[in-house]
Amino acid sequence: MALKISDSAIDRRSLVIRDTISLLAILLITSVLFVCTLFLFHSFSTHRAELAERWSDRGRRALAANKPQEAISDLRTALSYAPGTRSYELLLAQALGHAGRQDESYNYFLGLHETAPGDGDINLALARLAAQKGNRDEAVQDYRAAIYGTWGRGNGVERRAAVRTELARYLIEQQDFQNARMELLIAGGNGSDSYDRDMKFGHLFEAAKDPKNAAIYYQKAIASRPGDASALEAAGRVAYSLAEYVTAHRLLDRAADIRGQHHSTEAATDADLAHNAARLVELNPAPSLPPRQRIARIIAIRSIAKKRLDACERNGGAQSSSPKLQSLNARWAGPEATSNSTTLLRDPARQDEALQLAFDTERMMQSNCGAATGDDALLLRLAEPPKETRSTNE
Amino acid sequence: MNSSQSSASTSSVLSIDPRAASIREERLLLLLSIFVGIISGLLVVSFRMAIDWLTVLLQGSSPAPHQLRLLEVPTIAGLIIALLVRFVFPAARGSGVNQTKAALYISNGYISTRTVLGKFLLSALAIGSGHSLGPEDPSLQIGAGVASLISRRFGLSRARLRLFAPIGAAAGLAAAFNAPISAILFVIEEVIGNWSAAVLGSVVLSAISAVVVARWFWGAEPMFRIPVVNLVDPRELMAYAVLGVIGGVASLGFTKALGWLRPMLRRQPANWQLIHPPAAGFLVGCIGYFGLPQIMGAGYETIDQAMHGQFALKLLLLLALFKIIATTLSFSSGTPGGMFAPTLFIGAMLGGAVGAFEHNLLPHLTGSIASYALVGMGVLFAAFLRAPLTSVFMVLEVSGNYSIILPVILSNTIAYLLSRALQPVPIFEIFTHQDGLYLPSMEEQREESNLHLEDALHGVTAPVLQGSESLASSASAYAQYAGSPDSTAILVQCSDGLWYAATRAEVESILIGSAPDPAAPAAASQPGEDIKAMAGDSAASPESDANTKLEQRLGSERTPVLFPDLPLASALPHFRRWPLLPVTNRAVRGALEGTISLEDVLKRYQQR
Repeated sequence: MALKISDSAIDRRSLVIRDTISLLAILLITSVLFVCTLFLFHSFSTHRAELAERWSDRGRRALAANKPQEAISDLRTALSYAPGTRSYELLLAQALGHAGRQDESYNYFLGLHETAPGDGDINLALARLAAQKGNRDEAVQDYRAAIYGTWGRGNGVERRAAVRTELARYLIEQQDFQNARMELLIAGGNGSDSYDRDMKFGHLFEAAKDPKNAAIYYQKAIASRPGDASALEAAGRVAYSLAEYVTAHRLLDRAADIRGQHHSTEAATDADLAHNAARLVELNPAPSLPPRQRIARIIAIRSIAKKRLDACERNGGAQSSSPKLQSLNARWAGPEATSNSTTLLRDPARQDEALQLAFDTERMMQSNCGAATGDDALLLRLAEPPKETRSTNE
Repeated sequence: MNSSQSSASTSSVLSIDPRAASIREERLLLLLSIFVGIISGLLVVSFRMAIDWLTVLLQGSSPAPHQLRLLEVPTIAGLIIALLVRFVFPAARGSGVNQTKAALYISNGYISTRTVLGKFLLSALAIGSGHSLGPEDPSLQIGAGVASLISRRFGLSRARLRLFAPIGAAAGLAAAFNAPISAILFVIEEVIGNWSAAVLGSVVLSAISAVVVARWFWGAEPMFRIPVVNLVDPRELMAYAVLGVIGGVASLGFTKALGWLRPMLRRQPANWQLIHPPAAGFLVGCIGYFGLPQIMGAGYETIDQAMHGQFALKLLLLLALFKIIATTLSFSSGTPGGMFAPTLFIGAMLGGAVGAFEHNLLPHLTGSIASYALVGMGVLFAAFLRAPLTSVFMVLEVSGNYSIILPVILSNTIAYLLSRALQPVPIFEIFTHQDGLYLPSMEEQREESNLHLEDALHGVTAPVLQGSESLASSASAYAQYAGSPDSTAILVQCSDGLWYAATRAEVESILIGSAPDPAAPAAASQPGEDIKAMAGDSAASPESDANTKLEQRLGSERTPVLFPDLPLASALPHFRRWPLLPVTNRAVRGALEGTISLEDVLKRYQQR
């Protein structure tokens, strides 16, 4: 019995030893296999990375050469060797967009957005695609996500300002001037002044129907480059629209002087504008003028308006049966039409009535006898209040 | 070492007691499962690298239509594969799933090293050269082979050896898909066929070990990434239901094509079979050469592109159609490789097509094409491979996106049910029949309705005595059953709520007060006649004996507690001891639902 137990213990011990040796052998084999696999994998990964790099470079070059189809194929190959590489995916999505495959591009960007919802580049791309597809709300939302997103490459502040400017441009296209002005004000405030930047913002504010802020940026541009004809012209144009005719005339004249003998279309337009500004300065019955000078201008204006009325009646444009015209004719028979300079000098209220009569006449003739030209057009301009920032969604 | 040798366990050769041997094997099973998982994971990583390397080497780094090598490479590779399969690795052809099942059910878990090596090399060459096959099935078999190889070295018992093949299979599949749950479920659903705690623990350990290794190398990113699916409009589920129907029909076409071509090619003479792989390679190459190189190889990049909506509707449908053709050609030719990746490819293309169509028709609905492609993958997996549970988890795991769950469940269920209705025999079973094997069908096993005790249950007709009553009272009560034909067995209800089913002879011997006489039941002309006499004589008996309770004389043993919902087979072992089995209610202890006899059980089985 004792011998039997002893045999069993020996067997058991030999089994334990055998199992231990077998397990150690497996451990050793596993370790060797792991090291070999690791070595092969390293080599494999390096090779794939090289292939991915090579194909992505080709794709990048094709995209730069405006060959999006080729770029798509190359970038897809690059991605097959380096799946999930964000830069390649972004390039591929861009290439798809450039190739006119908007839906595919959009889906691709959406997929990328899912993994990195705060990425500025992806949101910007989505915004552009949404804008192209005409999804205004989505585009604005994506633009804003891009502005507040993260920008891995380059200067984040500059990139955000650039996106904001792009959003402003989009809003201008959409005739949403108020929101465009807000974006421009923020974007303009975030950056140092330079001639190009000031000119760009000046143009954008002008497009957003905000001549006052446009004028500020043009003035900054002039301050940077006092002899720059483009800045002077732009500033003169804005001053003209703001009814600052003296300034407009001065700036436009200076621009013309600088341009000298250049006979371009722009120069001719600016010359006309300068001439109009000068004439408006001559005609403008500003309350700040000395009384006699102002009355002389009022009488001249009244005379121009009367000539326009007479001419219109002669051509049959002004139907006497019209109650409005009858009323106007009645006013031309009244004291505001017949008062002389002495009477007007004594009665400041009459000055305004005479001026109003002239302006009303020009307005009515404009609608009854066709577009005004020459001094009549300038009088209409004087009749309008000076341009300020216009209302929303003009 | 062959299978018969392997069955001789070390523990039986060395004389240690069976209990110690069993404990040793249990511990080894768990420990070796980890090693199996790690080694399988490493081999699957190497296998995937080999495929990728060969793809670049043979097809070039960017295969495109009209490249002559697309025709040359799969043809030449096909010829090499055909020769190697014929003369060096004959077991490398065929489905890895079925070979693993065969190892489990036929050859005691034995898979030869040569088979594993052949599967590794030839599958890598086939897929790398552009044959339309996938790496998962060979990975599964590589895992199973590794497990078989390791387990044989430890001289385990035959029962344990058998289990190792599916354990390794789970590891191989988990590493290939980077999806442990799907691999575990697939092995349970398709290979083992039932849930057993002993196997489950090992399968889980090996699958997790393999995935850890795979993720060490490939990273933990899910295979496919799709946006979150928000079902804003429940009507969108209709589109997913349509996808389920399309998937069911497509899987039928795919199954029919394989079921027709594969046996036809296998019937041809052995020498003729040498030209099948090169011919298949040439035809697949033609599809690639003339415009669809995406169908060559496993096609995971193409699936990813489809998910990103990079293919138009028409191209998606063409890719699905030609992938079915290419895979049918490649697989039927006997080229080693798997069906998983092509199935996912076809499903993704069909899903993408449904998504693209839905977007064109109803642009306001929210589902992305990616979500449809992903659901499509699951749909074909469920319908073609007939693994509905695995298909759901596979979609969740490869995308890492739980938001897709509702569409996946709906579509997969529809596709699975439709496929079952249209094609009752699953594809793996078709292959086993074609190969002349008769392995158990896991789908049939799942569907099998097992008989329960309630199916053979009878009302209580046997005499019932109360164990708490005295022998005298019991004798009087028993006497009432005199002449009853059902009194060959007597039920005694004991005061602890349990029952004792006694033979008539046993009861009578107690009540008479003598030891049971085996001849007594036969000798008694009428049951209870002796008892009548005893009841009459009871006044003459000593008082203490008359007051003894019946259950005291029965001893402490009781009939087993059985409930109506237990399997009918569970009653069989008890008939050796008990003439009748009481079946009780689960809610009320001791309350009889009925009784069951051996005759009842046999009759019920004969009625099936």
